Amino acid sequence: MRPSRSTSGRSTSKQQTNTSRWQSAGWREFVSSLKDVEVVEDTPMRGTFATDAGGTAYGMPHGVVIARSAAQVSALLKAAQAHRVPVTVRGGGLTTEGEAVAFGGVLLDMTGMSRVISVDKDRLTVRTEAGIFWASLAEHLRRQGMDYLSAPLNLTSSVGGTLGVGGIDVNSARFGCSADQALALQVVTPTGEIVECSDEVNPELFRRVILDYGQFGVITEATLRIRRYTPIRMRYYHYSSLRTAIEDLQMLDREEAADYAGILTMMDAAINLLVAFDSGEREAAFDAKWHARVRGMGEAVFSARAFLSYLVRPWRWGEALFLRERKRQLFPEFRRPEHTRDGKMEDRTVVFSRAVWKFWGGRQMVIPDLATSGAKFAEAVERGNAVCKRFFPRYTLYCVGIRLREEHRPHYEMSCIPPDAAGWAYGCEFEPMLGDDTWSRDHLQSFKNAIYDIGVEMGASYYRFGGMMKGYIRRVFGDELVDRHLAMKRAADPAMILNRDVIF
Amino acid sequence: MEFSSCHGCSLCLLSCPVWRQTRDVRMTPHGRAKALQNGATAADLQASTASCTLCGSCEPACPEEIPLVDMILELRRQQPLKELVPVHETIVPISEDLLLAGEALRRDPERVKRIASLLDIAVAADDGSDISRAIECGAALPSGRVSSFIGSFRNAKRLVVADGLLLRKLREWLPEKKLVSLGEALSALEAVRARLRATDLYVIEPRAFHADHARLVRHYAALIEARNVKTNLDLQRLAVPTCASSAAKRVDPLDQARWILDGRAFERVVVEDAADCAVFAQVTDRQVLHIGDL
Repeated sequence: MRPSRSTSGRSTSKQQTNTSRWQSAGWREFVSSLKDVEVVEDTPMRGTFATDAGGTAYGMPHGVVIARSAAQVSALLKAAQAHRVPVTVRGGGLTTEGEAVAFGGVLLDMTGMSRVISVDKDRLTVRTEAGIFWASLAEHLRRQGMDYLSAPLNLTSSVGGTLGVGGIDVNSARFGCSADQALALQVVTPTGEIVECSDEVNPELFRRVILDYGQFGVITEATLRIRRYTPIRMRYYHYSSLRTAIEDLQMLDREEAADYAGILTMMDAAINLLVAFDSGEREAAFDAKWHARVRGMGEAVFSARAFLSYLVRPWRWGEALFLRERKRQLFPEFRRPEHTRDGKMEDRTVVFSRAVWKFWGGRQMVIPDLATSGAKFAEAVERGNAVCKRFFPRYTLYCVGIRLREEHRPHYEMSCIPPDAAGWAYGCEFEPMLGDDTWSRDHLQSFKNAIYDIGVEMGASYYRFGGMMKGYIRRVFGDELVDRHLAMKRAADPAMILNRDVIF
Repeated sequence: MEFSSCHGCSLCLLSCPVWRQTRDVRMTPHGRAKALQNGATAADLQASTASCTLCGSCEPACPEEIPLVDMILELRRQQPLKELVPVHETIVPISEDLLLAGEALRRDPERVKRIASLLDIAVAADDGSDISRAIECGAALPSGRVSSFIGSFRNAKRLVVADGLLLRKLREWLPEKKLVSLGEALSALEAVRARLRATDLYVIEPRAFHADHARLVRHYAALIEARNVKTNLDLQRLAVPTCASSAAKRVDPLDQARWILDGRAFERVVVEDAADCAVFAQVTDRQVLHIGDL
């Protein structure tokens, strides 16, 4: 039976998720105390930040502050501590669980701090304000012939937001998650101190702030590792079995056979393993050593087999037509001539991100995920796929490996990186294709719960465990670890003002 | 207006020159759409509306395909910019293929003559620059001005239009006519292309380019491929504007020009918009040429 869904269009969207929140106490005094910080209180501006990319959590801040400097952020946080006013920090606003939505208090818009400070081509580093979108950073770096290492496949994720949660790319199996690129940070602590931190300087703060979901400070500047820019040569292998595709992905990751690798599917009917290379030499080595071991098919063979398979299953012709139409629309996006030169794709992030928004974006997005060790991954994806099938007729899976850095183990505690992962962790996002249909919040939440229940049973972790999914935090991490982090949070943020609805 | 379709992806910010200089979401298409969704009126948005340079780069970036330029023009009609709009009254009916030179190009009659000769085309006595400026400012024009202006092209086969904003409107008003931008017309000429060098930085006029992005991005990709020139296109293949031709004054054209030049090695700057000549001349000691001067 098809699950129930809303028939009332947009009427389901504006619901508050928690009524027992901060209720304006001390707001006027707080605003009056901020002499050099502009707090915008008009409704249109506040409404600009009423929801996030997920479009299922809605809340209104009392006022918005556009971040302009670390000193200004410091003044804001000091006043917020004194008046016990919550501060919600927002970068690109691309959360899906309301993590970047302010349910009252101040919304701090970090995109106001989005300038590149310096590029060091010799040391392969960039220093940037943390509110910058990855796309804007790429724009600056490209002028110098440089590129970032890895970033979310989304142009408008911010650097600071990404460092707080992880960030995955199709080269994460090689470079690790985006947060692992950070070499040093300027952080404004919840009590307003402006502190520089790195593995060498204030290492404890550095460990806490990376992957902290915004609990231990506001990242105002970041020094990141970068690399020289190269266009990439891409190819796809097509599968009809998720497990086979995952095994091949993990084999390629283990043997460092490709520079980029990831799985993108349309349901479990069309499973694509994307493989790409930074150079002709790498591609030639792949062809010589690994191509024959990859069990995926070429496009023509896969299409012919799929055609025959659907031919004898008339009850699935609707799905076949959907896949054909999707392929007709999607594939040209990945082969746009203005982004291709000499057979190589330039600006992969632009190409992928535009496709993400064009074909997967919509008024509502839910993207529950599972992050596991390599050994558990195939089972986790198969179980998650079964849940997707139960809840939605059309969905996508996106799977990548994440190279772990042993020296960063302390960063990974209570994060998306599961504690039992060694060498690589693996992540899978389960994204229903909602389009502009509006589904009931209950249905969407039930779907997310069903995916996350798999994680609890398997001892996995999640990328999106904050906001509306924070009920899973104790179930997956256990009381001892969560209580230890809560104690650290209370010590660092006595009034519990910073991003208070996200984790604790 | 279809502002209700905006779900806040922020892609329009990436190429917005006002965003680049203010870092204030209120001054962006995203901010305006969200404000309207939350009950703002045209009066509430006056500062934001007035800041827009109408470069149009937000429109091809928008995955929802919201007509963002029309949205601004509609808001400006409700809250006009305080700008004096001189009105042309002389209409000369013409039946040839025509060049509509526009305000910036018209200031250099010799250049106009050279371009007309290159394109083998007559120059329109009435180029509609008053109409363009009125549209940009949201000002009212005397009744009948637009209809008599477009009526004068009844017998024209092809119009080459230097003003990107006017070109956008002419496409609406004269859907059956062949209309091309000056940049496209000149850059399509083999005689002109042959004079472009690999060491040139070629600055595409943004308004015409973004108004017909899906087609023109391929035209310029072919030009880049053929002549190996650098351009003012960003990673999304949107043209970074100087905004020199804009009536809105929030964006500093010199700062935009510096950003276009940043990190790019070049010997000459070749511009499509005549207004850009003076801007680039102030920020580089390299030669700055209009494409019609090649």
